[in-house]
Amino acid sequence: MHPQLQLLVALQDMDQMIRETEESREQLEDLGFKHEGLANLKTAREDLAGKIDPSLASWYKRLTARFGHAVVPVVNNLCMGCFANIPSSFVSKTNVDKVQKCESCGRLLYWP
Amino acid sequence: MDIVEVLKHTSPALFLPELQATDKTAALAEMVEGLVSGTSIQNPDTILQMLQSRENLGSTAVGPGIAFPHGRTLAVQRLTILIARSGKGVDFDSEDGGPTHLFFVLVAPPQDSGHQYIKSLATLIDRLQDADLRAKLREAGDYESFCAALKGV
Repeated sequence: MHPQLQLLVALQDMDQMIRETEESREQLEDLGFKHEGLANLKTAREDLAGKIDPSLASWYKRLTARFGHAVVPVVNNLCMGCFANIPSSFVSKTNVDKVQKCESCGRLLYWP
Repeated sequence: MDIVEVLKHTSPALFLPELQATDKTAALAEMVEGLVSGTSIQNPDTILQMLQSRENLGSTAVGPGIAFPHGRTLAVQRLTILIARSGKGVDFDSEDGGPTHLFFVLVAPPQDSGHQYIKSLATLIDRLQDADLRAKLREAGDYESFCAALKGV
């Protein structure tokens, strides 16, 4: 996986964790979970975001605001964001050196 | 969600009867390795990073001798549950300071519309309030007897 995509996936996982903790805090704390590290997690999130190429970080931010998730998996050659067909050439050797975007919706593509 | 539904998300390949690790970092790595070898999941680093972030948020060792490492990640396409056990016990930063012997690792995809993983967590936590059951689970000889004890049969 492209190192920048690895960072973007980790960033999105972290953003979701922060969002879910804030939205479902009461429910999760009823189950016994504590969230005393939330402020530190947000700091770690900013540190991680700082390692991402500024143009990709900006694209990630715009897509997240628009769709909720900026990075989506490709399953059976389909973008799981908009279900557009993703050409198999996107995963060819010539293309592994860059982060791929769906030509239809612009989301960043991840092959699980 | 009942315990039978929860157990549909695990399998014998996702049962680690004896963890070797004794500290939290190594135990998480060993369990992620188990997740990857027991499924078609790739990108273990992504899963490990997510689980470590979750532990930094607050320890998931919330029951007596039990931990529930969990979270959502793009690295999986469906809710997957790994069960692990440690006879020696792992220092998992539990609330009571005691060692952790039973682990239920739940990893879910970002889009989990029915919040299945939180419901699964709730079911497991509720079921594991029973001290006799916890003792049975620590002694169960194999995956089948472990699941039978969890189901109460």
